[in-house]
Amino acid sequence: MTKAAGASGCGEESRAQASEFEKTKAGPTKDSDYYVKGVLDNDRLILSKTITLMESTRPEDHDLALEVMDRILPYTGKAIRLGITGVPGGGKSTLIETLGMMLVEKGFRVAVIAVDPSSKISGGSIMGDKTRMQFLSAQENAYVRPAATGQTLGGVARKTRESMLVCEAAGYDVVIIETVGVGQLETTVASMVDFFLVLMIPGAGDELQGIKRGILELADAVVINKADGDNLVHAQMAQKEYQTALHLVNPRTPTWLPPVLTCSALEKTGIEEIWNTVLEHRKKLSATGELEARRREQALEWTWFLVDEGLREWFYKHPKTKGLLPEIKKRIESGTITPTRAASELLEQIINKRS
Amino acid sequence: MLKHPRGKEWEERAKKELKDKPLESIIWETPEGIRINPLYTAEDLESLDYVNTLPGLPPYVRGPMATMYTNRPWTIRQYAGFSTARESNEFYRKCLAEGQKGLSVAFDLPTHRGYDSDHPRVAGDVGKAGVAVDSVEDMKILFDQIPLDKMSVSMTMNGAVLPILGGYIVAAEEQGVSHDLLSGTIQNDILKEYLTRNTYIYPPQPSMRIVSDIMAYCSKEMPRFNTISISGYHMMEAGADTVLQTAFTLADGLEYVRAGLRAGMKVDDFAPRFSFFFGVGMSFFMNIAMLRAARMLWHRLMSNFNPKNPRSTMLRTHCQTSGWSLTAQDPYNNIIRTTIECLSAVLGGTQSLHTNSFDEAIGLPTDFSARIARNTQLVVQEESDICRAIDPLGGSYYLEVMTQKIVDEAQKVIDEIEEMGGMAKAIESGMPKMRIEEAATRRQARIDQGLETIVGVNRYVADDNIEFEIREVPESVRNEQIARLEELRKKRDNKAVEKALADLTRAAETGGNLMEATLPAVRARATLGEISNALEVVFGRFVATTLCISGVYASEYRDTTIIESLRKRTAQFEEREGRRPRILLTKMGQDGHDRGVKVVATAYADLGFDVDISPMFQTPEEAARMAIENDVHMVGVSSLAAGHKVLIPELIKELKRFGGEEILVIAGGVIPPKDYQFLYDAGVVGIFGPGTPIIESANKVLNILESKGRSKQS
Repeated sequence: MTKAAGASGCGEESRAQASEFEKTKAGPTKDSDYYVKGVLDNDRLILSKTITLMESTRPEDHDLALEVMDRILPYTGKAIRLGITGVPGGGKSTLIETLGMMLVEKGFRVAVIAVDPSSKISGGSIMGDKTRMQFLSAQENAYVRPAATGQTLGGVARKTRESMLVCEAAGYDVVIIETVGVGQLETTVASMVDFFLVLMIPGAGDELQGIKRGILELADAVVINKADGDNLVHAQMAQKEYQTALHLVNPRTPTWLPPVLTCSALEKTGIEEIWNTVLEHRKKLSATGELEARRREQALEWTWFLVDEGLREWFYKHPKTKGLLPEIKKRIESGTITPTRAASELLEQIINKRS
Repeated sequence: MLKHPRGKEWEERAKKELKDKPLESIIWETPEGIRINPLYTAEDLESLDYVNTLPGLPPYVRGPMATMYTNRPWTIRQYAGFSTARESNEFYRKCLAEGQKGLSVAFDLPTHRGYDSDHPRVAGDVGKAGVAVDSVEDMKILFDQIPLDKMSVSMTMNGAVLPILGGYIVAAEEQGVSHDLLSGTIQNDILKEYLTRNTYIYPPQPSMRIVSDIMAYCSKEMPRFNTISISGYHMMEAGADTVLQTAFTLADGLEYVRAGLRAGMKVDDFAPRFSFFFGVGMSFFMNIAMLRAARMLWHRLMSNFNPKNPRSTMLRTHCQTSGWSLTAQDPYNNIIRTTIECLSAVLGGTQSLHTNSFDEAIGLPTDFSARIARNTQLVVQEESDICRAIDPLGGSYYLEVMTQKIVDEAQKVIDEIEEMGGMAKAIESGMPKMRIEEAATRRQARIDQGLETIVGVNRYVADDNIEFEIREVPESVRNEQIARLEELRKKRDNKAVEKALADLTRAAETGGNLMEATLPAVRARATLGEISNALEVVFGRFVATTLCISGVYASEYRDTTIIESLRKRTAQFEEREGRRPRILLTKMGQDGHDRGVKVVATAYADLGFDVDISPMFQTPEEAARMAIENDVHMVGVSSLAAGHKVLIPELIKELKRFGGEEILVIAGGVIPPKDYQFLYDAGVVGIFGPGTPIIESANKVLNILESKGRSKQS
């Protein structure tokens, strides 16, 4: 049997090559026209490939991605950008399924980018969000794209933002970004959306445990999910606790005091209220001009973020520093150099050379 | 260490024999985490007060009956269903003539899931894993010339339990057999469907109502019929060890008891008609101990409900040998495995038994393999003299200690579940499913490393390839069923059908007994799909959420260099391609066996792949759309219910239609080698049968993807 498997293994490879050969013969060359036209036509296949291009970590793809981004940028900016985060198992995907279905029925076109964490150890990931968005994923007017974070915060931030813009250019009216509520990712997502929703579930009294206070400062609304059945009372209690907690947080703007809502994604209650809250927020902040200001601010933030990322990459890949890194690392570990001195030595390498 | 008076002497002798190895080196830890000493003695039994109890008396650890096999051996009950009612009927009658004592009907997956054979979602599944039943007309053919007042019939049905049990009752009525004469078992164990087998239709709450409605109906009308068969078998097949199987099964049982009580019945009205269904695997003594432990524990748990009838605390069980233990490689070895498992079940005191056919890891059983399977039991029963004394292993120091250990460990898990508010709540939390999947993943990692030997798979691999006959279900089965449905719809009084269905829907809304309300619809020739739908409009169709574990495979794999080498390959792939190898793992059709696909998913993620998991029960079109949207490199199809020849070519066609012809397709699961060429011709680039180590399949997948990359650059 092993022999047979080995033999069929060879067969597999040759077959793969054969089919690929046919492919390259027939397939179109993929320049920026291919991507831009496909996205603007909302071609599902090319939209997907464009997001892959944006996600690519390969240097050769970088320029093409930049070019595509430049060309589709004029078609972006019209969508409602909604970020949803919360604890694992809090029902984010189920909420998005229910909310998304409601929006599709109202005539909106809905895109979802569901970000799943990659394992720090293996680099791999399991993306199962679509198992909880079965109906939404099947809608003609919906697009659901699971994405793995990858290894670096910078990477996920960049590709999430660009994927969002690609979806906007493809004509989606609402773009929802789903993230697991752990780590710094939320801060990043909060800084790319118009409305940041923090989803919670009622626990047993210790509602605020396990959640960073910082995340509440970013929230435009806190929603307590699973307000159904035996849980209803707990949910209402949690609602009160979060209201109190939010009072202690300085609101980002006097125009909008983040409300605490309850819902049941499973029983589809409270979903309309969530959407009305998003719209009301939009109306109020548009009236004061804050929404535009927020987006401008975000653009600025984004620029500095990219500069930081670029500098960082440049620094670590610079021939002058790259060679020194292992040596410096050893010295820090053995305690023969202080971190301050080490950092300064490394930086001087480049700064002196440049000046 | 040993409490035996001459224990010290033994230890010294043992140490000498072990030479430079310490005594601890011969202590073994079971997959359950139970420590096994090399030797047990009478002293170990001192604290075990149940050891010298008697069969037929509490706590029933030595058997539920006083005389056990000395009076009547266990019932040889082979589970079978052959595509059409006519074929199955012929097969049953032949088996009965050849010495089989009871019937056990296997239905096909569309029937389980409440779809008629002409439903568009079931194109690949009709007649594949069992018999297709669309209406009472099919049921009548199924039981033609089989006297239902004399023959006990077991039906494995959980999802579409109302139309199937209804069909059986009405078929009997039309044979002239009254309800009270019917004997047999309906599985009717919906809770475990949410854990492992996934052949549910409705959400848990209305499903539990159906269970208790059937219990209530049968306690009045069919006193000789077992209304539920609480099943651990599928948990074992999904990877549960003996402790988990015992604990989750009995916890399910408790939940059904409470459902019965909530429905207003007394415990003695229904609990005596509970039967169980355990899976028996290769760990010989652990499985014997498990059956004895389960009886003892059930007696303990049920005593809390203060029943008057002793039968309420008595665990009677059917057993089946393990399908997971069967291998596609060197498949005649499976006959030996099944024999050992058969002995386990018998020495554990089962009431009836199914022995698997040796070819079930490759395809559907043939007449020949089914005969060998049945004869395995006949040989044990009639040639080996095993039936001459009751509980022949009772009093074995080792076995009795193991029995107590399983009781203790399972009790701990049950306590944990009770604290969560019972099994229904525990299932909602996902806890039992995760535990089972974790156990399955650990086991796979042990097998892949050769820490657990599987002859012919990871050791002693044979180099010849045995060719033998494989049964295939012709595509004409579906057409035949469709034609019969059309004829039925033409002939029957459609007004009467509509009214009966409307009444059923009303009962679902307002709360009448659903078994009672189903019967008029069955009599009027409403189809199984129509009846299921009449309830679905009120209850909805359940959609499972998929939770995944991670890190388990890699942590169980001791040789980290192998794991690291694969991680390096996936990382290099990313450097070259700009992203990790991304693979969508999917199950299409109505096949709900998801252990394999979950284990592969978590292991591949541990090796550095980006893994997408699709929802269950996908159509090829849905799977193709997901592959396109997620922009994966490859789709892996898991097929265990013989749908591969229809569904996989269809998937490839759909991928092409969406413009995704670059996406490669591989397949895994139970696929007969003779179908490999067919699938390759359809465009599949790799096939991985059962027993393929995950490391090996992952390496091959990377070979395939890399060769694709090379040809792109050239």
